[in-house]
Amino acid sequence: MWFTNQRGEEEFTGGQDDWAGAARLASTCPYFNPDVEEEFVADDPVSCYNCRYRRWSTGSFTCLKKDKA
Amino acid sequence: MKIFVSIDDTDNIESRGTGELASILADDVEKKGWGISSYITRHQLLVHPDVPYTSHNSSMCFSADVDERSLMPLISYAADFLEKESAEGSDPGLSVAVAERLKDPEALIEFGRRAKQVVLTQKDAYDLAQKLEIHLTPHGGTGHGVIGALAGIGLRLSGNDGRLKGGLKIGAENSIFSVSDICAHPHVDAVSSMEGYTLEPEERVRMGDKMKTVLMGGKSVLLVMPSGGEPGDVPWRTCPRQLLKIF
Ligand code: SF4
Repeated sequence: MWFTNQRGEEEFTGGQDDWAGAARLASTCPYFNPDVEEEFVADDPVSCYNCRYRRWSTGSFTCLKKDKA
Repeated sequence: MKIFVSIDDTDNIESRGTGELASILADDVEKKGWGISSYITRHQLLVHPDVPYTSHNSSMCFSADVDERSLMPLISYAADFLEKESAEGSDPGLSVAVAERLKDPEALIEFGRRAKQVVLTQKDAYDLAQKLEIHLTPHGGTGHGVIGALAGIGLRLSGNDGRLKGGLKIGAENSIFSVSDICAHPHVDAVSSMEGYTLEPEERVRMGDKMKTVLMGGKSVLLVMPSGGEPGDVPWRTCPRQLLKIF
């Protein structure tokens, strides 16, 4: 689910278009917290792509709760 | 006269979003009798390791029709508002431009486009704002949000960038509406396919859940796609939200 990028941060392996994978991951994550409406991009409300703790990177996202999740 | 108001980098990971602050500001313009505000658009800026941002690298812009005498009080109110309401650790920026006084709109649009593609500096933003005589001020932290605030006006002015803030509710999910009925909604100007075909007033569309419009050709456009050709179905349905991510 995660790989280490060149800056040593862990990024989601599914990139920015793995809608099913991001929904699956969020569905079991105790830290999921919906972002503000205008930043929602996924149709599945519970998705890492709609989570307050995802930070977009160039090709994917990192998770601010990753060490805890 | 028509003005554009744009703000950026007012939030942090736990706070309310920049969009909510833009909504309050747009409402306050009306409550104070300064003018009539339009819808708010959200503009995605470059995501790059060298671009610092506190929560989301997107700016929010709205236009308003205001009386000339309201301009200075409005700017001063917006500046105070950002200083009071922005989240701790954020780097807010405010930009206000008067449409009819814009000396070189193309330069501003180009700045907006570049803010989506390359790393720009605060100096780039201040230089351009000074040249075009646009209000641009920092309101806390590093003030880095001035770049996004100025870019937000350029992108709004381009007429072809961003999603409208807020969901669109027209009937129940799966209900069928004609394009003319959809365009009766105050926040929908047109209904088009992703490929740019503008639907005729009598064409019919199946509504989705959580719909949103995007800014295309200077209009608030509801995007649709072929519905899949099931027997008895109408030819079009609204695009799912994930297809709007590119706007
Ligand atoms: S906290 Fe991280 S892993 Fe959990 S849903 Fe949010 S982005 Fe995904």
